[in-house]
Amino acid sequence: MSAKPTFSHEISNLMYKSHGNPTKSCIQCGTCAGTCPVAEYMDQTPRRLIGMINANLKEEVLASNTYWFCASCYHCTVRCPSQIDIAGVMYAVKRYSIWNKSYSEDLVGPAFSEAFVKIIARSGRSYEPILAPTYMFSMEPKEFVQEAFNATKMMLKGRIPVLPTRIKHIKNFQEMIRRIIPIGGES
Amino acid sequence: MTQTRLLIIDDDPDYVDGIRSILEKANYEVDVAYNPQDGFKALESKSYDLLLLDIMMGRGAEGVMVARKINKDPNLREIPVLIITGIREQMAFLFPGQAVHPRFLPTDELLEKPVDPKLLLEKVAALLQEAKEKKAQKE
Repeated sequence: MSAKPTFSHEISNLMYKSHGNPTKSCIQCGTCAGTCPVAEYMDQTPRRLIGMINANLKEEVLASNTYWFCASCYHCTVRCPSQIDIAGVMYAVKRYSIWNKSYSEDLVGPAFSEAFVKIIARSGRSYEPILAPTYMFSMEPKEFVQEAFNATKMMLKGRIPVLPTRIKHIKNFQEMIRRIIPIGGES
Repeated sequence: MTQTRLLIIDDDPDYVDGIRSILEKANYEVDVAYNPQDGFKALESKSYDLLLLDIMMGRGAEGVMVARKINKDPNLREIPVLIITGIREQMAFLFPGQAVHPRFLPTDELLEKPVDPKLLLEKVAALLQEAKEKKAQKE
C-alpha cells in the first residue's frame, strides 16, 4: 500500500474493477496479436504492448499508437488463454494518456473521442458532420474527396441528417451525466 | 496526544508523493491507497481523521462513487473529506465554463489541482478543526 507503484501497477490500478486477470499473468503466447484485425496498423502488437507494460517501459508504451488503433472488438479478450481483459488494458492506457495528456499530437483518436463525447453530452446523438473534420484532414486528398462525396450522397438519401437531432428528454439525460461527472449545477 | 492520521486515495503516484511530503512535514501521519478498493480496505482497517480524495480514478469519475459510498456508511460519514481533483482539465470540455460541483458530502471541501501547499495545509487544518468541534458538540 505504501510503496510507490510502478507503471504496470498504475495500469492495474486503473483496471482494478475489470473482470479479467492483471497483465502480469500474460504468457506472451501472441494469440491476441494473431487475432487482432487491426494489428497490421499498430506499431506494437497487443502482445508486445502488454510485455512493455509489464516491463514498465512507460515512455515506449505511451508513444505507441496501439491503444488508439484498438477497435474494441474484444476478440483478444475472448481468446486470451490467461483471461486478461486486453481490450480493457487498451482502454486503461487510453485513460492514462488522456488524463496525463501524454499522447502524441498527430493522432486522430484523442480529438475524435473528445468531439464524440461532446456531441453525445450535448444532444444524446452522434452527428457526423461535426465529427468528420476531426479525422478528415489527416486523409490523403483523394480519400478526402471520396469521403466528402460519400457523405454528400448519404445526406441526399437521408442517411445523415442535415441538422443535428436531439433525443427526447435531453435534460434528463444531461442530469444523468452530471450524476456521473460532477460538473455544472447541483446534483 | 496521538498524531493526526490522514488517508490519501489517489492513483497518481507522483502527485501523491508531492502532497504526502507536504503533509508529513506538517507532522501528520499519512497513509496512501492507490485505488478506491484499497482505500476502502484502509478505511475499514484503521480509523482516520481526514480523507484526501481524488476524483478521476479507475474507470472514470470513481472518486464521486467513493464519496457517495462514504456518505451512506454511518461509521465513515463523520470523516471530513478534502477532494483534490484535476477534473476541470480532464473533463471540463463537456461543460465549458461551469463550476465543478462543490458538494458531494456534508463534510467535504474541494480543491483543484495543482494545489498550493499553504492552501492545502490551511484547508486540512480547518477541516480537522471543524470535525473536532462537531464531535465536541455531540458529546
